[in-house]
Amino acid sequence: MSITSALWRFPSVQMAWRNLGRNRIRTALATLGIVIGVVAIASLGIAGVALQQQATANLGTLADEVTVTAGEDSTTEGVTEEQVEEIRGLAGDAAVVPKKSNRTTLTSRDGQEARVSVTALTEASALYDVSAGDNPDRLQSGALLTNSTATQLGFELGDPVEYDGRLYRIRGLIESQSGFGGGGNELVLPLSALAEQQYYDSVTIVAADGQEAQRIADAIEARVNEDDEEVLSVTSFASVQENIDSFLNTLNLALLGIGSISLVVASVAILNVMLMSTIERRGEIGVLRAVGIRRGEVLRMILAEAAFLGVIGGVVGAAVSFAVGLVVFQVLAGDPTLVFGWESIRYLLIGFGFAVFASVLSGLYPAWKAANDPPVEALRG
Amino acid sequence: MSVIELEGVVKRYQSGEEVIEALKGVDFHADRGEMVTVIGPSGSGKSTMLNMIGLLDTPTEGTVRLDGRDVTNFTEDELTEERRSTIGFVFQAFHLLPMLTATENVELPSMWDTKRDRHDRAVDLLQRVGLGDRLSHTPSQLSGGQQQRVAIARALINEPEILLADEPTGNLDQDTGRTILEELTRLKEEENIAIVAVTHDEQFVEYTDRVVRLVDGEVQS
Repeated sequence: MSITSALWRFPSVQMAWRNLGRNRIRTALATLGIVIGVVAIASLGIAGVALQQQATANLGTLADEVTVTAGEDSTTEGVTEEQVEEIRGLAGDAAVVPKKSNRTTLTSRDGQEARVSVTALTEASALYDVSAGDNPDRLQSGALLTNSTATQLGFELGDPVEYDGRLYRIRGLIESQSGFGGGGNELVLPLSALAEQQYYDSVTIVAADGQEAQRIADAIEARVNEDDEEVLSVTSFASVQENIDSFLNTLNLALLGIGSISLVVASVAILNVMLMSTIERRGEIGVLRAVGIRRGEVLRMILAEAAFLGVIGGVVGAAVSFAVGLVVFQVLAGDPTLVFGWESIRYLLIGFGFAVFASVLSGLYPAWKAANDPPVEALRG
Repeated sequence: MSVIELEGVVKRYQSGEEVIEALKGVDFHADRGEMVTVIGPSGSGKSTMLNMIGLLDTPTEGTVRLDGRDVTNFTEDELTEERRSTIGFVFQAFHLLPMLTATENVELPSMWDTKRDRHDRAVDLLQRVGLGDRLSHTPSQLSGGQQQRVAIARALINEPEILLADEPTGNLDQDTGRTILEELTRLKEEENIAIVAVTHDEQFVEYTDRVVRLVDGEVQS
């Protein structure tokens, strides 16, 4: 009774609440329709968010990077020092990391061998994260080795590794790069280690975000390559991410569209229920009008009934969707708490809002019809 | 001055192709403290006349005066206000709302009027019609006679000047009908209101100050 006494100050709401209580099964079924609609919209929306977050996480930082290598029409066997300077000029604040690469085999003290790719560069900290040891901004001496390789071969920080007849002390252990193309065993050395190689094999540009990466890639392309000539080959994953994003957005819209259909169906059900119940109560509404209840008051009462259906259905639907969201994030991301993010909570609010809006919209016609029924006609039955 | 007055009231309905003239120039009035019974056979226009008096319907021709004011051309919203403040209704089928208690049913006409709390008057009225021990009962827990008493209390909640009763004893047995009539007579004096009742029930005649016979849409003198 506490709800009803709190509503006593709002007669329309109070009457609406009582009226809904008169036919609980009908009220429950109408509400169930709304619940299903909200769950459809909100859970599909949340599933879309989970997919998108997962795709972005998988792509990792690759999307922020641009890789430049010598193109088909290059006159040199790699990227020249002048071209690197040109790229630096175009890249603005982004880190530009020219790299030389090779492959070698490392041997442990007990004779175990591992094939590693060798990367020679200076700006180590721009590309790598170390899990142990230090991560020099400028790698002049020593080496970095992937953690897994070190474990496999029994190397520790400070141990020497041999490359091309010279010894390098391991300064830091790095994680394999995430995303495609990364991974595997990698030995990172100062540029001097591959000094005999005249040109750089590739230049990696690390931009602040995908958009910036795309801008830099376009600028290099425009400056260096004319017409059909490909002096430098410029690869950016930003466009890949854009494609994935736009695909997922489309998918999301399609999912929401499907969800909305069920809410439309639910609101038609509400329209039907409200219309039936106002027709059934025609005489009663006539009595209300006869004893001096105003048209606007009758209208508000019936709109409040519809709004109640929407609010109850919306709350229950949002709660169910929240539970579905926990499961979806657990399955896709392994972390159910991600559902608390605004991106997904938003869909609960959207679902709830749509439910109330659709219900009130459906209540408009029955309410208007009941309020404007001439009392004489209504009393006659 | 009469509380309610009909002067030369004509009401025509369009029913399919033909026009039905339900009232053919009726003159009528009722004063405070008076119980007027309108008696007539089915189809005589009794209900139409009651609808005119109750401001539920407007005449095709003629004039309706409430407290001497011409309300003939009032809009529906203005008529609603007049009904709310001046007129109480009692129906043959009681027409109580099933989900409300007796007290809430009595309060109903004043429910949207949040400025005034009518709860005390509702309880008082129910006590006066002998239902002081049934305040929280819902209509389904009350007998027909008790429901009609609740309906009478509801009609009086806004301190009307006129109480209109459409076959108030029609759904009740003779003894219960008699007690309802006694109740109405008593309240008429206590509240100093005009009561206009429409009925077939000849029992009314002995409780009534004046009888108006309506035949074929005309008052027989």
